[in-house]
Amino acid sequence: MIHSLPAFFLTIRKYNVEGKQVAGNSEYAIEMLNITKRFPGIIANDNVTVQLKKGEIHALLGENGAGKSTLMSVLFGLYQAEEGIIKKDGVEVKINNPNDANDLGIGMVHQHFKLVQCFTVLDNIILGDETTKYGFLQKDEARKKILALSDKYGLKVDPDAKIEDITVGMQQRTEILKMLYRDNEILIFDEPTAVLTPAEIDELMEIMRNLSKEGKSILFISHKLAEIMAVADRCSVLRRGKYIGTVNIADTNQDELSRMMVGRDVQLVATKEDKEPGDVILHVENMTVPSKLHHNNAVKNVSFDVRAGEIVCIAGIDGNGQTELVYGLSGLENCTSGKITLSGKDITHASIRERSTSGMSHIPEDRHKHGLVLDYSLAYNLVLQRYFEPQFSTKAGFLKKAEINKYAEKLIEQYDIRSGQGASTIARSMSGGNQQKAIIAREIDKNPNLLIAVQPTRGLDVGAIEYIHKQLIKQRDEGHAVLLVSLELEEVMSVSDRILVMYEGEIVGEFDPKKTTPEELGLYMAGAKRQEVGA
Amino acid sequence: MVLLLQYTLLFASVLILVALGGCFSEHSGVINLGLEGIMVIGALGGALTLKYINPATPKALILFAVLGASIVCGVLYSVLLAVACINLKADQTLVGTALNMLAAAAATVIVKSINMAENPDNVSSTVQYMAGKKALVVNFGSFQFNWFMLVALIMLILAYIILYKTRFGLRLMACGEHPQAADSVGINVYKMRWSGVLISGMLAGIGGIVYITAGVSEWKFEVGVAGFGFLALAVMIFGQWKPLNIGLAALLFGFFRALSNVYSGFDFLAALNIPGSVYNMMPYIISLIVLAFTSSNSRAPKAEGIPYDKGSR
Amino acid sequence: MNNKTKSSFLSKPAVQSTLAALLCIVIGLLVGYIALLIINPKGATEAIITILKNYFTYPSPKAAMKYLGNTLVKAAPLLMCALSIQFCYQAGLFNIGAAGQYVAGAGAALYCALALHLPWIVCLIAAFVAGGVFGIIVGLLKSYLNVNEVISGIMLNWIGLYSVNMLLSGVKETASPYTVQLASTNPSALLPSLGMEKLFSNNKYVTIAIPLAVIIAIVLKIVLSKTVFGYEIRATGIAKDAARYSGMKEKKNVIITLFIGGALAGLGAAFLFLSGYEQWSVTQSSVPSMGFNGIAATFLGGLDPIGTIFASYFIQHITSGGSYLDKNIYPSQISDFISAIIIYLCGFVLFFKLHLNSYLRSKEEREKQKPSVKANKEEGGNN
Repeated sequence: MIHSLPAFFLTIRKYNVEGKQVAGNSEYAIEMLNITKRFPGIIANDNVTVQLKKGEIHALLGENGAGKSTLMSVLFGLYQAEEGIIKKDGVEVKINNPNDANDLGIGMVHQHFKLVQCFTVLDNIILGDETTKYGFLQKDEARKKILALSDKYGLKVDPDAKIEDITVGMQQRTEILKMLYRDNEILIFDEPTAVLTPAEIDELMEIMRNLSKEGKSILFISHKLAEIMAVADRCSVLRRGKYIGTVNIADTNQDELSRMMVGRDVQLVATKEDKEPGDVILHVENMTVPSKLHHNNAVKNVSFDVRAGEIVCIAGIDGNGQTELVYGLSGLENCTSGKITLSGKDITHASIRERSTSGMSHIPEDRHKHGLVLDYSLAYNLVLQRYFEPQFSTKAGFLKKAEINKYAEKLIEQYDIRSGQGASTIARSMSGGNQQKAIIAREIDKNPNLLIAVQPTRGLDVGAIEYIHKQLIKQRDEGHAVLLVSLELEEVMSVSDRILVMYEGEIVGEFDPKKTTPEELGLYMAGAKRQEVGA
Repeated sequence: MVLLLQYTLLFASVLILVALGGCFSEHSGVINLGLEGIMVIGALGGALTLKYINPATPKALILFAVLGASIVCGVLYSVLLAVACINLKADQTLVGTALNMLAAAAATVIVKSINMAENPDNVSSTVQYMAGKKALVVNFGSFQFNWFMLVALIMLILAYIILYKTRFGLRLMACGEHPQAADSVGINVYKMRWSGVLISGMLAGIGGIVYITAGVSEWKFEVGVAGFGFLALAVMIFGQWKPLNIGLAALLFGFFRALSNVYSGFDFLAALNIPGSVYNMMPYIISLIVLAFTSSNSRAPKAEGIPYDKGSR
Repeated sequence: MNNKTKSSFLSKPAVQSTLAALLCIVIGLLVGYIALLIINPKGATEAIITILKNYFTYPSPKAAMKYLGNTLVKAAPLLMCALSIQFCYQAGLFNIGAAGQYVAGAGAALYCALALHLPWIVCLIAAFVAGGVFGIIVGLLKSYLNVNEVISGIMLNWIGLYSVNMLLSGVKETASPYTVQLASTNPSALLPSLGMEKLFSNNKYVTIAIPLAVIIAIVLKIVLSKTVFGYEIRATGIAKDAARYSGMKEKKNVIITLFIGGALAGLGAAFLFLSGYEQWSVTQSSVPSMGFNGIAATFLGGLDPIGTIFASYFIQHITSGGSYLDKNIYPSQISDFISAIIIYLCGFVLFFKLHLNSYLRSKEEREKQKPSVKANKEEGGNN
């Protein structure tokens, strides 16, 4: 077969090195060739090439910040690349906005769902692609089509339920249906498993296999090796914005993928010595915390202890009451019943400030919302928990700026916080990893009896993760109590001395990390099993 | 009693129109605190039309001309808000406030200039429209029906249909709740927000002319519209951003506003000897109380007041 | 090299604010000028010059000084209203209720002075407290019931207006709607002038109010930038959740801030009415514009107390200048029109600064990249 446009044919040949076929009948559904995308001060994608074969599940592997999401946003038309081209079925295309992507049959399930909370499932699915008659919505036709699709692919949803009332898994199915409703052929899944229970993950894998069997081509973005090994056909790896290579899953193993992803052998399992825990530092008895989202309680009658010199980890799927548990402990939310004791002192009704000065430190889940005053300087942020102490302010209520700066310089040095203009850098302009380091420095330097750390490694690269784990273990070794809330099972298994699993606001199991497996924890996290635990 | 009903309906019509305007704007994601100013400009357009139009023109034509002028003025003026808040991402509170002040000043300047051009000794900011106003009303016995009451009712029904039954409404509300979601399915958020603001300009413009023609046949533009734009916002919040609830809330507020116009006509109220200022304060006090009770559980559009930036990561 | 010093000069926040303010003023005046041209092209140039000249219209320096005094007498309350709005804005609150707090202050001061015959210092305190109470209402509604402070502020403006009209109707002149003369009824309530009137050609309205307002501005500047309280207020304004996380009592801070804001506006009213310069009209049906003009002054002043001193003076300068226009050709509200345009333009200041900064940054980056191309290493995880 010879194409009628020789020049065009040549360009195809030039890139399609493996290809024996010509334009319009390419082996690849989508090719992203030599893509470069810059943001002010950072090259997010540096000459990256990814080729998606028709009907395959192609994984895109990389650490947080490696540039996977940026690359997919380029493909989806949310960003435009400065250099490089995109081809669909071997023909070069321009994707300037999500509409273009949709017209080309490209759909995406975003990491943070793009769903309108107060709309129904049906409204969310048809939004942007509505069938109308004289401008009026024709929802009945849409409902039929959605039900048919949901039957065909085993995606169970209730079209008339509101998004705010349904589970995360069902929200994800809504997102998938959104793509299928538009007859998309190329489906992008951006970190789809982060929010799911193990059972839901299995279900999603099955759905993905079904979709690829039906001829859909799938791009699957992840940093979880096991999932990639389980479901993908091929895998492309990115590191710090650069393209590292593509491998067939059948010909590789987790170690190789991990090396490609990080660039060196990683010892993600933190090393720590056995230590006998000391006195009880935090004692929680029958704590109940109401939910902001629902009418019932987010934390139900929970009791546990954390001792000096141990790391207790709260494991669980996101949204099972961990956030509210920590809010209750830190005083951000009031408990409706129960008792909290810190180093023998009843702090159930203490204010946030009193808890803090009584020796509680808190590395918050959302470092932008709670952890930092983003428009304050680094120095001001480093004294956020201590500015009122005599060291930093006079009796008359004036700040001692010189002291604050001196202290900030000390922490910057000691904790290796990197920033453009040292202590006077505005926190907003710092990288995520360094923002987190600043928070950790501030909280640890308070020399707390109890350190609460909520997902302290979320969104950070391996270097920063290792650093943070070391800091947590150091706290433990120095005899402080550490309460870690984590969604990552690997982290839970390697850092903690004791694991408490939380499910629907209750603690459903207590484990010794040396005597349990991720699989066993998974069953408890999903609510399939429970022990009777109580302090 | 009839008078009370008449004024209640009139003021409720104003509140319905303006509150619906706020409702469209907020559902698209823009807080429109400039409603007050848009009302003034809309009122100015309508009042000048009434002043200059030949009273012999067929009544229907006068009505439509007045409506048209108010709409055009309101919409054009709301462009100032749209440009600033949607494209230039200005502080929506500040811009709204600026528009209120600008409208009052501009209307006064314009009216005074016109009056002075006609008669150098007339430095007032009053527009008279005695003759033209007759076209807007029909008398049923002692009840004076104002065509704008019908306009308000039609707008209320239309607003309900547009928001809940059409593609436009679905997309508009998506932009106010989760603009990133709307953008990801190819909806142009800027365009929808512009539509929302312009519609609010249209409705508030009509609201303005209805307000200044309620019961009087001349208007002094120095006084503006006495916080009615903000009362309408209170009505909108009380109505939880839903058209039908807004209609009911507007009736309640309209009643208290009407009371201050007609209380002296009721013997038992007049006998109480309460100063007029108390009645004047009533609508504002009521709205404070209502806000105090409804604001904590408000279901305001989630993304309102946050400028949408396509490029933000 | 020269280039570099220029760009670092431009990147100073104070320089940027001044630049932005001047830009707003120039465009505002230009629009005003165009409006004058439309109304009557013949005298427009002269008219805009009249507005800008204000008291310089008087050829004799003595008269000019006297009327400079008048402008200052009104600039002082304007500055207080501007500071009120600014202080609240630092805590993330848009205190449009300053207008009503000003009204409350006026009512309290005049009632104490005219009905109760109290001395000026008591009247000042009464105004301070009355304004503060109006502020507290907004604060309580905001922090405990989540009521938008703009809407509650507006409602209180009207409630305040009608209440004060009622309150002061007992001390009005029989033949007019104005309150009785302060100087003849209770001279002890007049603010002392400490001999300052001599500087302004015996303008008896010039009192300690003027230096006091400036001192208060400076105090606020110090409070905001150097004290623990300022640290908390600003943190609450920028990041409410982070402030709460660190244990600041954000509800208490909101209420205190609005109390202080209200008190400042109330004090501003006392500064004007206790000078005897104006009388209150108990039949007025619109809220005095002083509080709203304060919004213009505070944003024009770049949200900085010191900048606001100059901005308040400027706004009052052109407002007073407007009264010298030929009233049979041009309406004096043209000045209000110009102020309103300026506020509208102030909405774009942030946009202007953002673009200026990103322009400066990209320029800086380009220069940095010339010698070495390694700037992008550390900035990994931002997704």
